[in-house]
Amino acid sequence: MPPFAGSHPVGVFRSDTNIVTIDVGGQIFQTTKQTLTSAGPKTFFSTISQTSSPYTPFIDRDPDIFSLLLSLLRTGNLPSKAKSFDLQDLIIESKFYGIENLLINSLSNPSQFEPFNLQNSLQLPLNGRDSPSTVSTTPYGSLHVAHGSKITTFDWSLRRKSTILTHFTAVDSLLALSPSLAAAGANDFSGLQILDLENGYVKDTLIWENVTKSGSTVQAIGSSPENMFVSFESSRRNSNSILVYDLHSLRPVTEIAHNEIYGADIDSAIPATKLQWIESHNLLMASGSHSGPSGVSGNVRLWDVRSGNVVWEISEKVDCFADVTVSDSLDAMFKVGVNSGEAFYMDLKNLSSEKNSWVCLGDKRKVLNGKKEGFGCKIETQGNQVFCTKGGDVELWSDIIMGSSNNRIFKKNLMGRVQDMGGAKITNLAFGGSRMFLTRKDLQCVEVWQSSSREL
Amino acid sequence: MEEESTSQTTTDSNVTDRIKLNVGGKLFETTLSTIRSGGPDSLLFALSNRFSNDPNPVFIDRDPEIFSVFLSLLRTNHLPSTARRFSKQELADEALFYGIDSHLRNATSPPPFSGIDASIVASVRPASEGLSSTFTAAENGSVWIAHGGQLSSYDWNLIHSATVRTHLDEINSICRVWPEIAAVGTESDAGLHFYNFSGSRHVGSVHWSDPSDPRIFKARVNAITASDNSVFASFDCPHRENCILEVDKAKLQIVSQLGRQSGNQAKNMVPGKLTFVPTTGVLVGSAVTGGAFGYSGYIRVWDPRSGEVVWETNEPGAGRSSRFGDSFSAIDVDVEKLLLFKLCSKSGDLAMADMRRLGDDPWVYLKEKNPSLWTDGGDGSTSSVVNCYKGQVFVGRGGELEVWSRVKEVVECESERDRESDGEGVYRRNFVDKREDSEKGVIVKIEGGGDRLFISREDVEGIEVWESSHYAGAISVL
Repeated sequence: MPPFAGSHPVGVFRSDTNIVTIDVGGQIFQTTKQTLTSAGPKTFFSTISQTSSPYTPFIDRDPDIFSLLLSLLRTGNLPSKAKSFDLQDLIIESKFYGIENLLINSLSNPSQFEPFNLQNSLQLPLNGRDSPSTVSTTPYGSLHVAHGSKITTFDWSLRRKSTILTHFTAVDSLLALSPSLAAAGANDFSGLQILDLENGYVKDTLIWENVTKSGSTVQAIGSSPENMFVSFESSRRNSNSILVYDLHSLRPVTEIAHNEIYGADIDSAIPATKLQWIESHNLLMASGSHSGPSGVSGNVRLWDVRSGNVVWEISEKVDCFADVTVSDSLDAMFKVGVNSGEAFYMDLKNLSSEKNSWVCLGDKRKVLNGKKEGFGCKIETQGNQVFCTKGGDVELWSDIIMGSSNNRIFKKNLMGRVQDMGGAKITNLAFGGSRMFLTRKDLQCVEVWQSSSREL
Repeated sequence: MEEESTSQTTTDSNVTDRIKLNVGGKLFETTLSTIRSGGPDSLLFALSNRFSNDPNPVFIDRDPEIFSVFLSLLRTNHLPSTARRFSKQELADEALFYGIDSHLRNATSPPPFSGIDASIVASVRPASEGLSSTFTAAENGSVWIAHGGQLSSYDWNLIHSATVRTHLDEINSICRVWPEIAAVGTESDAGLHFYNFSGSRHVGSVHWSDPSDPRIFKARVNAITASDNSVFASFDCPHRENCILEVDKAKLQIVSQLGRQSGNQAKNMVPGKLTFVPTTGVLVGSAVTGGAFGYSGYIRVWDPRSGEVVWETNEPGAGRSSRFGDSFSAIDVDVEKLLLFKLCSKSGDLAMADMRRLGDDPWVYLKEKNPSLWTDGGDGSTSSVVNCYKGQVFVGRGGELEVWSRVKEVVECESERDRESDGEGVYRRNFVDKREDSEKGVIVKIEGGGDRLFISREDVEGIEVWESSHYAGAISVL
């Protein structure tokens, strides 16, 4: 057998060394070195583009899917004919070629989030009888759902899932550290567990050594690019603290907001139940509330993590928040009032000034009616939008940029179509990739809202 | 659960490694190692040897689209989505032709069964007399169903493969003796009978007889189990005299008799459930009766070689039970992990005993720590079933299906492990089903096989098949 038989000599193109010819499963493809190297260094394609062998490299894979992935390399997007293929096949092939990140970028990028084009499009069913207690997402759209003692993980494409069993009877706080790693804690279980969700074991347990030597339950988890923040309360509920861990090594860095409760100082007895990092100000927002016979009272504090000092705080007595959140891009803090059920905002620009107070976005008159219309409502921001749940509906508040006036204008819309209204009460609201995730009371599924043009 | 990719990529062109195929007019090109990964017995392996020096493509006169599915399967060990265009039957037949059916089976078989994440994937319903009286599942995920006097076999794809009409009116116990031969028994007629699916015929019968004792006649079979060489069946006579017969699997002849007893009390009635434990070579039998005064019964462990009882417990009334008055309503043996599980009739609790350390009171009661799952369960009116599969314990209470599964432990220090090794706290209880599933009917039998869980319900035709899946199963609501 002659040595060149069966192979395709590349002599014709030898003058132009920029063109690369590849034989995939019997089909010939031609592309440029630039296209191949755009897959990134040390991938399969970059090695092919560097070989100077006179033979055409042969790849024993499916040529049809390769042609789609080549288009992805060329343009950054999948061609429309990819719709006739199953995404799962594309993912498997892209993993083989080492370019799954390009696929994720083109299909589930947070920059493609279209708040006005979100529609209720998918339901992710959960097995068993427990309804979701909390959810957590990664920036590119992987989703972890805690239901009962189980945590189910959906990958970024929402095509694959896996479920693990935890030690908790119910998970109350969950934070996705990566698509396969999560931090989980509960109000009735001591210690924060770092869970490997792929193999289903506890990688690490973080506990807070409190003075009373009792267990430490987890009230909230938050993270910044470098740190993880955990709000602990002692099992005897007489002390609480926020611990700062290094996000990568999970070693404790510092402890802030340590409270020992002596006497009847209610305010210090409230542990933080929401922790949120404010990147633009380098501050940690910690909020907690307490429901008593005289109504709900709470506080919001902004902490400078390095110095361990409170930079700013507000105590809430009248129409305390049911939920509070901070938006970096809007440079404002938002709350939903527990009595009024209305959304409020506060500018972060002039925090230091004395007259700073909540500005009601909706109906101001409802503030003092004494009902708890906002109980259990959630408020979150994504991009320049504020999402506030009210019962089974989601309100979308948008910042209208008027240019001239100094007052900010926010306007409200109800999300969804007629058939989406008035569902069961929303218990969780989260954003990941270009999607919004909702869970509802007593429903064993996660609702996925995405824009139709980004349908996977 | 991605498997290691077997496909070879040759960036430096080793031409002799490549092979061209012409399947039904469509050209395919791949490597020899891919095509040979089907195993030396496959047709593709044979073809690859024959034509490796021929420049012309190998011609195969089959459908090219199915072949392209299989080529993807050989390259990636993963069945592409294009396979959904073909029926399971088509794929299985075609895979058999190419000799890569084991590959197809590996790619299509469900992931390890996990009770905390399972859903109903199918219902196997025989075409006639669909009420299943009993069934048995095999390691490969196939199932034999007894319905009416018929025995139907469903293969690993859950496709009907054969039905045998037996001479019995109803089959109440069934056991897989050989891959094609079933041992069956009934409460309404005497004897243990063997039927062969290939050729669908009766191949033998065994009766319990005792020439010296005229009371032994018309002995019916209550339970059957099989070891590597023998079949064990419990027989009882109209006078309640009972025993267990060991039958040679190859000759279908009685080898020995063990545990003969008079049956005049609850603690010596015929065993209604038999399990052979291969690792220790013992036979576990149990009997439970429920009445107006609650449950009573026994668990007995025999060594079939000596015919002796190795261990036994009777409830109620066996000495030192810490749960007096809470006798078991169902038991099962975890054959792999050597554990006994019993379900308490009053409290509804599950108890576990290590078969290597059976003593006076070996039971460890698994506690339910989730207050929302506490059941009163206590009146004993709901029927209950226990089955162990893949290290998990499945419990059917009435129509509800729950699973007790072990939480993976973090191995921190030895003392921690010792503390937890008694089993308390490491088992978690969860519902497998949804509330609407539980309303379909009372669960009669649970059995696992081939990473599937099969369930039959009272007065419901066919049997349910539960599987775990990595497929998210998103439902479009647009």
